[in-house]
Amino acid sequence: MELKVKVVDRQRGLAEELYLPAILVGLRLTVHHFVRNIFGKRDVVTISYPEEHRRVSPRYRGRHRLTVREDGFIKCVACYMCEEICPAHCIHIEAGEVEDKSVEKYPVVFDIDELRCVFCGLCVEACPKDAIRMDTGIIAMAYSERDRFDFTRDLLKDPYHENEKTKFHSVPLPLSEEEALPNSIARVGGAH
Amino acid sequence: METTSASPRHLKPLDFGAEPMVVELGPQHPAMHGITRFQCRLDGEVVEEMVPDIGYLHRGFEKEAEATNYIKIIPYTDRLNYVSPLINNVGYVMAVEKLFGVEAPRRAQYARVIMSEISRVTDHLTCNGASAMEVGAMTVFLWFIKAREYLWELVEEVTGARLTTNWTRIGGNANDLPYGFLSMLEERLKKVEEAVNEGEVLILRNKIFIDRLKDVGILSRERALSYGFTGPMIRATGVPYDLRRADPYLVYDELDFEIPVGTVGDCFDRFLVRQEEIRQSIRIIRQAVDKLPPGDYHCRDRRVWMPEKYEVFNSIEGLIDHFKIVMEGPKPPPGEAYMGVEGGNGELGFYVVSDGSGHPVKCRVRPPCFNFVSAVPEMTIGHYVADIVPIFGSINMIGGELER
Amino acid sequence: MTLLFDILTNPAVQAILKILVIVLGFVMIVGTVLTLMERKWSSAVQDRIGPNRANLGRFRGRGTVHLAADAIKSIFKEDTIPAHADRLIFTIAPFFSLFAAMVVWAIIPVAAPIGSFTFQITDVNIGFLLVFAVTSLGVYGAVLAGWSSNNKFAILGATRSTAQMLSYEIFLGLSLVGVFMVNGSVTVSTVVANQGQYWFGDLIPKWGVITQPLAFLMFFTAMLAEMKRLPFDAPEGESEIIAGYFLEYSGMRWSAFMLAEYIAIVGASALTVTLFFGGYHVPWLHADGFELFGWLLPLPTFIVATLQILSFIVKVLFFCWLVILIRWTVPRFRFDQIMELGWKKMLPLALANLLITAVWLLAIDHWHL
Repeated sequence: MELKVKVVDRQRGLAEELYLPAILVGLRLTVHHFVRNIFGKRDVVTISYPEEHRRVSPRYRGRHRLTVREDGFIKCVACYMCEEICPAHCIHIEAGEVEDKSVEKYPVVFDIDELRCVFCGLCVEACPKDAIRMDTGIIAMAYSERDRFDFTRDLLKDPYHENEKTKFHSVPLPLSEEEALPNSIARVGGAH
Repeated sequence: METTSASPRHLKPLDFGAEPMVVELGPQHPAMHGITRFQCRLDGEVVEEMVPDIGYLHRGFEKEAEATNYIKIIPYTDRLNYVSPLINNVGYVMAVEKLFGVEAPRRAQYARVIMSEISRVTDHLTCNGASAMEVGAMTVFLWFIKAREYLWELVEEVTGARLTTNWTRIGGNANDLPYGFLSMLEERLKKVEEAVNEGEVLILRNKIFIDRLKDVGILSRERALSYGFTGPMIRATGVPYDLRRADPYLVYDELDFEIPVGTVGDCFDRFLVRQEEIRQSIRIIRQAVDKLPPGDYHCRDRRVWMPEKYEVFNSIEGLIDHFKIVMEGPKPPPGEAYMGVEGGNGELGFYVVSDGSGHPVKCRVRPPCFNFVSAVPEMTIGHYVADIVPIFGSINMIGGELER
Repeated sequence: MTLLFDILTNPAVQAILKILVIVLGFVMIVGTVLTLMERKWSSAVQDRIGPNRANLGRFRGRGTVHLAADAIKSIFKEDTIPAHADRLIFTIAPFFSLFAAMVVWAIIPVAAPIGSFTFQITDVNIGFLLVFAVTSLGVYGAVLAGWSSNNKFAILGATRSTAQMLSYEIFLGLSLVGVFMVNGSVTVSTVVANQGQYWFGDLIPKWGVITQPLAFLMFFTAMLAEMKRLPFDAPEGESEIIAGYFLEYSGMRWSAFMLAEYIAIVGASALTVTLFFGGYHVPWLHADGFELFGWLLPLPTFIVATLQILSFIVKVLFFCWLVILIRWTVPRFRFDQIMELGWKKMLPLALANLLITAVWLLAIDHWHL
């Protein structure tokens, strides 16, 4: 494509010199907004947060969770991939073994320091077992003690809708199969 | 350029036996977006001398990048220009792609264009809104922020976050544009256009606003070129330099748009150029949506792209490739690559040097607003204190990008 | 009983009662409510929700609880005085502004006099001149506050407010000279009573805005400047000199500045109404009822007085609303542009207005128009 240039119009004439026309036109617009928002249909983008919730995108990267197998055991095999790729070094894993031979390795400790986490979502991409996800839809964590941001394995593992801490948050479900993430909960073969 | 009566440059200071006053503007000051400091010596209200002091937001991006692998740098780039994070993502990733010699599929390229232009609109809305707010038009700012909000919700739909997008990957995008996105985009663009028009009604014909911006902070074309200005700042002086046309990347040479240029190079020209660019960006988005081809949103090159999840779950080769990319990072051949993209402020360049290992030897960012900030004293000296605000607002300094 | 009647008819007692009713019962309340309304109305203009969080238990009252919350907060907030500040002047400066803002009400009539009883605190014969003499003191609040704060931004704000005062005061006075010429008096009661006359028989009320439209525009502009509101808030200039002259204030003294600003809005609106919008007059309402084209609706005196008070309140509130909406519509002048506007544009305009008025009045006088 050829280069097209458009010179912006900065010419102003007598109407602008008089101040008043522009101010009156502007005042008409602000009064229009005023009347519409006070008496008519309110058109605001502000959300009264704790009472109202915005629709959260199905792709939204919220708090992490550790998915579980059908028998309820944690899916994670403690391969350290997420710890490896985390740019914020917020994941800490210690591996251990169990008697059950179908589980080779499992995380004895799986801590995520949510205060250090930058919510980039690379851990989800790096997981070879679909064991960690960020689709809880929990958009804000607010606690008064610093320790409570250290999410341990069991806090992360619990199915979030049964978790005391998070049960008030509704999970954003994708509207359709097409909209779902590859590892989303609405997908056939997902964890739930 | 004749000196107008609004400019006190030609006035000789009267001798009252008074001393000049030294005022520290910043680091904490309402007009300093981000954190920066200007030490000003004032003669009455006229700025006699000014020393910019930057570095309050220095986070060591470049040094950090040398210690991590190529994938893990992508989230850091979000935090460079934090009002247009997607352009940073695209710029960095394209530099690395150049190093590898891979190219994203066309669908991914179109998606990148769409998201870059959305980011450009949010960038310009923020900058112009803040400029208007700082000369007192608070309502315009909030209307523009409302428009930006519509777009950031879209960004969230695509990337999963409003600001820390982390959306592009080497050789493609993290995910495709979601189902239903394009119709939502058109609806939002209409709302944005409406908000932009309404905001313009309040100020563009208002003499008070025009007087505050016109003939303030003029930098001639020659001086601007010698400072290395790019982006809206150089276009406001009348140079139609736009990387999307000067050195087309992605699919910009298939899209039709105009480059708005100013004539004088003052704050008013910059404001108008940015407003026009919002319109042009919306035009580009519409064209790109029409031309969006079907296909993959990422390449199939195993050197850079993690294998599909089903391969990882079901085959040992997939698992090994996956582990290698995660643990060692993609390893580009030794060499260097520079990729400049047209960021919200101007030429945002990434210069990446590889020695063949998993992390770059050097990852240098060319921030467009570094040049602008170095020219602030020249633009400001001789003007009033009150003019610092529109001048500084018009250069749109973003601390994260400037100080890295 | 007669004693009580004697006390109530005593002019001094009456004046004190009027002060209590008008200032405490109207001005203070409206001024306080405006602090909240500014935020609510601006939110409506800007497509936001505005303050709505303060609550008493479950009661939120769409943000009205914020009035109490703000008051309690500023009472209990630490009242800091910066080091090396002039403590005495720093302490009294806010009350200059507050005082100047309130004095306007000394002469504003809120309804037509009934017999010897006037709905006006005092009707001094120098009238408006007194008001403009005293309200100009308001700038001392800003100057002293800025000077005593020992802060560079505050002193810049103080000098700006002086420069601004110098530029608007002249055309403010000159714009009113036309009004006084039309009315032949500077006494408030005369100016208001004259606006009860009509043109073309009974058709068009002879309000100041119709006889002196240019003067109205200039006066309103000057009032915006005196209130230091946008587009004339260079002394506060929040983006470059942060808050200007009251930068160092906190707690109750800061609230005094804020309250003074809103009381000044009410006062300026009342002055505008009194001078240009017929004061308490309702169109076609005479002392004995409505009258239009010879058609008469008789009304008792107390209903007429109530209607007049209501019309005055409605007009004042309308102008308060307008002032607030203008603030959220226009950007801010630079202080040298204010001076340019005042001296190079408004002053010649005011003189021209004066000349036209004089010629017009002479013509009327000469040809008995």
